Amino acid sequence: MTKGRDSFIHIVETIADNKFVLGDRLVEIGVGGPNLEASLSSIAMAQGELGHARLLYNWAFDLKGLTGKKQDVRDQTGKAFRFAGNTTDWIGLIASAYTINVSFNLVLQAMFEAGHTDIVMRIHKLLREQGDHVAYCRGWAVQLANDTGAVPRKFREALQERVAEARAWLVKLEADQELYASGYMKAGTALTARFDQMIEADVAHRTAAHG
Amino acid sequence: MNSSSKQKKEYNVFTRIKRGDDLVMVGTVAAETDQLAKVYATFVYDEEDWVEMCVVPREEMTWIRQPEGLFEKWGDGR
Repeated sequence: MTKGRDSFIHIVETIADNKFVLGDRLVEIGVGGPNLEASLSSIAMAQGELGHARLLYNWAFDLKGLTGKKQDVRDQTGKAFRFAGNTTDWIGLIASAYTINVSFNLVLQAMFEAGHTDIVMRIHKLLREQGDHVAYCRGWAVQLANDTGAVPRKFREALQERVAEARAWLVKLEADQELYASGYMKAGTALTARFDQMIEADVAHRTAAHG
Repeated sequence: MNSSSKQKKEYNVFTRIKRGDDLVMVGTVAAETDQLAKVYATFVYDEEDWVEMCVVPREEMTWIRQPEGLFEKWGDGR
């Protein structure tokens, strides 16, 4: 599993960076969410995202063969999606969280299904917790897509920009044959196609109908 | 978000701490869908590692007996 290791570390750090930034946004914006349950859940999810980021940074540290005391995480490594840090309102937050969670869930699932013991051990709990994050984001995405007034249009615009960036990243991953050949990710997982299908099923046709 | 666009429902949250313990109502959540109610309950009532947890729409509960309002006899229907 040495071939493709650099690419794999890059993926792990990309996921960690996005979770790190998303955790910050979920607190900053989520505290002023539209209702109490949504705000409390957003802040609880932020704790989860920051915990996942820490776990993934530590994993990347080990993958690089570094030894000694784990570094304190004070900032991302610069691999977060552009949109993640530019999120400033609730609609943008849901669009960001939805895009990040849905795309990463597919990638983490592909890692898990590769069946490598170290990977399975590292992400088993994370993947289970991520299921709740995906459910929260999907629930809110569907709700905003079905809302009234200008909300569905604004949500669609926010989502389109974010989906484009995440999709481009998935296309790049799928083209990296070394990742699959070295057993870091299960081959034939059709990440981009499944990502498109999920967006279509959850949001796209509903938003188009309301836009 | 336009709160009128979708009606929220009240859900009662029930949990069991460990096998053999009683199933206890620990609180409520208000949510637009069953799926969101599950997620809200998971995140809000996370003080224990519950062995069982469920949400029940309050309107789905069939009551056999309920207490009368404390001030009903003075005409306050609460």
